[in-house]
Amino acid sequence: MSLTSWLKKSFPVDDEALAEMSSEPIPNHLKKWWWALGGTPAYMFVVQLVTGFMLIFYYVPDPNQAYESVQHISESVSFGWLIRGVHRWSANIMIASLILHMMRVFFTKSYRAPRELNWMFGVILFVIMLVFGFTGYSLVYEQMSYWAMQVGTEIAGATPLIGPWLADFLKGGDMIGQNTLTRFYAFHVMILPVVSMMLIAVHVYLIRTLGVTDLRFKGEEKKDKKTFPFWPDHATTEFVMVSIIMLMLVILALVFPPHLGAPADPNNTPLHIKPEWYFYPVFRWLKITNLTWGVIGPMVFLVLLFFWPFVDRFFEKLFPKKDVAFWIGVIGALTITIFLVWETLAAH
Amino acid sequence: MKRKDFITSLFAFIPLGTGFAGITFMGARFITPRKSEKLYRKIFAMNLDDIEVNESKPFFDLTGRELVLVRTGENDVRAISTTCTHLGCKVHWEADKNIFFCPCHNGVFSPEGAVIEGPPPRPLDTYRVQVEGKVVYLYSQIAES
Ligand code: HEM
Ligand code: FES
Repeated sequence: MSLTSWLKKSFPVDDEALAEMSSEPIPNHLKKWWWALGGTPAYMFVVQLVTGFMLIFYYVPDPNQAYESVQHISESVSFGWLIRGVHRWSANIMIASLILHMMRVFFTKSYRAPRELNWMFGVILFVIMLVFGFTGYSLVYEQMSYWAMQVGTEIAGATPLIGPWLADFLKGGDMIGQNTLTRFYAFHVMILPVVSMMLIAVHVYLIRTLGVTDLRFKGEEKKDKKTFPFWPDHATTEFVMVSIIMLMLVILALVFPPHLGAPADPNNTPLHIKPEWYFYPVFRWLKITNLTWGVIGPMVFLVLLFFWPFVDRFFEKLFPKKDVAFWIGVIGALTITIFLVWETLAAH
Repeated sequence: MKRKDFITSLFAFIPLGTGFAGITFMGARFITPRKSEKLYRKIFAMNLDDIEVNESKPFFDLTGRELVLVRTGENDVRAISTTCTHLGCKVHWEADKNIFFCPCHNGVFSPEGAVIEGPPPRPLDTYRVQVEGKVVYLYSQIAES
């Protein structure tokens, strides 16, 4: 028996199904470069998995050793600066590209029937990625991480109804300490990766079964072929994108390595304190509202985002002639951008 | 569904359902940290004459949290927690402006701990203090074991 026939027998694969799967027709608009960006967050996620698992080899989830272990990774481990730098940069770019991806789905109204559910899976994935960023940043156990942990768990604690339980659950006790770090570590390297891999699988499955929204641009003839094959055309585009991103990540890690602030001090909040940039809008909002609204505001935003396909349908019925969704999107995006810029520029 | 079948499934599902509910409950209890009762201990804080009237000095309680002792009168001392009541950051004493400032979301408190500005929902917490003769005692929470 030859190796191939043995393999075929012991691991039966449906050749036709495989061929069909890999020759998925891709809509024409994906030929444009910026549409190939859709796969960026997915690729970044793989980078996070690989670099994240590598970091586990050296990282120590103990409040007395965490900081030093990250320092050790950055300064002594061979190419530690590279792996940590890529993990950090890829996290940032992933969240940025997710935001762009969501905006493009929003403004092309691709969340409409039958894709409502997939939009909702997408919003959950987005929230999970923010939690990834929050828990990962906390692991470093420097001053900013410590105070982000403090403020973050207290915000969770101010959630209506389940708040007090949630805060205890996250902190694992009265104060930030070993239990908190262990829980954050478990979420960051075990629970969230597993959950998000499953959600990404569902997300991609739905994209493929429902198809992507067909978009047409000016100058395209109606009779033009609507799609092009995944293999090799689209795969080539994606490959070029992946290579460019990989190079970019290495350069970023080299030129702007993530720095390490002062180690966590539970008795001294630094005078200039800022979270990661993607939390800037919420951070600014917390400064200008009282505690209740500070917490309810972002939650209302997330609930609205989650149920957006249905909210949109409601507005459609109410004002059939007006493009309400577009204007709400513009106002929403502008507001968030203003808060982001405001927080970036303000010293306090 | 026949009556007999219905009763049979009832017998099967009630114990099973109870079992699953029980396991879920135990799992939920497992991931919820246990709350121990808060215990306080009376500890020596300072001698009354360590600071002048209207002066203050930092102090650490038994859980390691920092606080300030303020001598508010000849025989009065207040122990003010420096943990912001908004989201738990540590406030800074700004002597030139005579305020406690919280750098997290710009909360401002008076020297007595009252909210002057910003998002904090209530005044700074205080510790129970006892002045016995020239000795100042403080009731501190005991660190969790
Ligand atoms: C399986 C997936 C992942 C694993 C196993 C993992 C593992 C780790 C570990 C061990 C650290 C601490 C070491 C260090 O800070 O250098 C860390 C830090 C971090 N992680 Fe992850 N991670 C994963 C995915 C992600 C994802 C998806 C994101 C963001 C969207 C993310 C964002 C971060 C951030 C921002 C840090 C702090 C980086 C720093 O300042 O060094 N991680 N991660
Ligand atoms: S934690 Fe002090 S103002 Fe928010």
